[in-house]
Amino acid sequence: MRYVIVGNSAAAVGCITGIRKVDPDGEIVVISYEDRCYSKPMIADVLIDIPEEKLLYRDSSFFEKNRVETVLGHKAVSINTESKVVALDSNELVPYDKLLIATGGKPFVPPISGSDKKGVFTFTELHSAVSFKNYIKENGAEEIVVIGSGFIGLEVAYFLREIGVKVKVVELLDRVLARALDRRASQIVENMLREKGVEFIFNDTVEEIMGDEKVSSVRLKSGSVLRADAVVVAIGVRPNTELAQTAGVEIGKGVSVSDTMETSVPDIFAAGDCIECTDIVDGQKKPIPLFPLAFEQGFVAGLNMAGKRMEYLGGLVLNSLKFLPVPVLNAGAVEPIDDSCEVLVNDKFEKKGYYRKAIVKDGKLIGFIAIGEIDRTGILTNLIRQKIDVSDVKERLVEPDFGLVDLPQWWREEKLKQDKTAYKDWRAV
Amino acid sequence: MSKKRKLMKVYPIEENCISCRYCEVACTMVHSESKDPVKAYKLENLLPRATVEVKGAVSLSLMCRHCKHPFCFDACISGAITVDENGKVNLDEEKCVGCWNCVLVCPFGAAHPMIREEKRHSFKCDLCEERGFPACVEACPNRALIYDIER
Repeated sequence: MRYVIVGNSAAAVGCITGIRKVDPDGEIVVISYEDRCYSKPMIADVLIDIPEEKLLYRDSSFFEKNRVETVLGHKAVSINTESKVVALDSNELVPYDKLLIATGGKPFVPPISGSDKKGVFTFTELHSAVSFKNYIKENGAEEIVVIGSGFIGLEVAYFLREIGVKVKVVELLDRVLARALDRRASQIVENMLREKGVEFIFNDTVEEIMGDEKVSSVRLKSGSVLRADAVVVAIGVRPNTELAQTAGVEIGKGVSVSDTMETSVPDIFAAGDCIECTDIVDGQKKPIPLFPLAFEQGFVAGLNMAGKRMEYLGGLVLNSLKFLPVPVLNAGAVEPIDDSCEVLVNDKFEKKGYYRKAIVKDGKLIGFIAIGEIDRTGILTNLIRQKIDVSDVKERLVEPDFGLVDLPQWWREEKLKQDKTAYKDWRAV
Repeated sequence: MSKKRKLMKVYPIEENCISCRYCEVACTMVHSESKDPVKAYKLENLLPRATVEVKGAVSLSLMCRHCKHPFCFDACISGAITVDENGKVNLDEEKCVGCWNCVLVCPFGAAHPMIREEKRHSFKCDLCEERGFPACVEACPNRALIYDIER
């Protein structure tokens, strides 16, 4: 059996891990246009000069130990499903028996006039992060405009303050992380960033990036002009389905996959930021481009590729703002998704430094936010995943000492005494 | 899946737990520089890897379960969390960058955040590997923690 994986990040590593659980002998080939297996969520750390080896997610010993052949520095450009080969930009043909498409996401850049000027960057790949850092140094950039206040935009803004650069974040909506957090949490995050010296401009957007060859300023929709020695576009990430399209696989909001991570074309699987997955909270198919999900999807794909049937548990939003001095976590829904939802809040942020919120629907937890006190919140995440009835302990969900003693006794019996902790053991009850 | 696992783990027995928290103290102490319970908490600012939970008459001590499918391993962005051939889940605190993904996904709440100025990282039960036998089990006066082969 010959497994080919296109991509070399979380989903790919998950897939290798899954394949090797079942098949110790099959050939595995990883194709990536990048030169190493680094951690994508850590690339902003480049700005504060993190040593490069720290960015490595899996070093060469992982690939050696798992007997993985790597074809790095070459882009997979097309898939021929009849002859079952992947064509590279070097014209090399790589045959496969089972293929995983793990091509990730690509940054969304809206049509802004001047976005092709030098000094305009996106921030989803190591090489763009490094070029950005070098550009700042070479040009002595002192003031930078970040477009978008999502996770990437805020992290870049925060680290730019660390290195003494003035930052203005321009956000179309009226608050930071408007799609990820509730209003209160947005406010807390915004205050932390303001304390760091980040400036915000809300309800506005960049209409034109100005300058000669290099960017020098931006003009906003409101008319004001901001100095910008560089611009970071961090509006969002879209599934990268270019390669998948050459195979003619079905594509919705991302590559469509079954519960076993198979695409509509036999022997082609997909995982990670390039797919649309079912959100267990609302049942909708959507891209949820997050590292833990990518790994898990890759793992499930790997098991199935190697012949061990396993159904994916389904995705859910899992966010952590790792760069802030006070930790901010959330999972699932952060606002009621319909009128039947109940919202529980424990806001002690001013006095005790924590904020907790939980959303309950039909007696089940469907989401939470935890700021400040975050220890043991994974118990809540699992309640969402396993859809365990929490009617009797609703008020406890927002207490920082919520624990396994609040869960049903049968759950502790099954998980602690009987060790039911395999992948299939975490399905909804 | 893999049947090759041979793992000794710590099992809580809630029927026997009297919430004395000796396990917590022992854990903190053996993982300290000073090996002194007071200094470990007060000077080294350490926290236990075992958590005693109490609710009415029910109490138990909880630590890393070394899950057969560890979600923390899936979620770890730095590569700090690894799984050895016996299924023991290891967390390299030096490699950890404190992204808190493991805290966010551990169904048992057994991966904890250490949020300090100088270094932010997660920490969890390491089964007292260096010591050879889990200190919490040794400290438990009522057989509410036992060291046993994985079920």
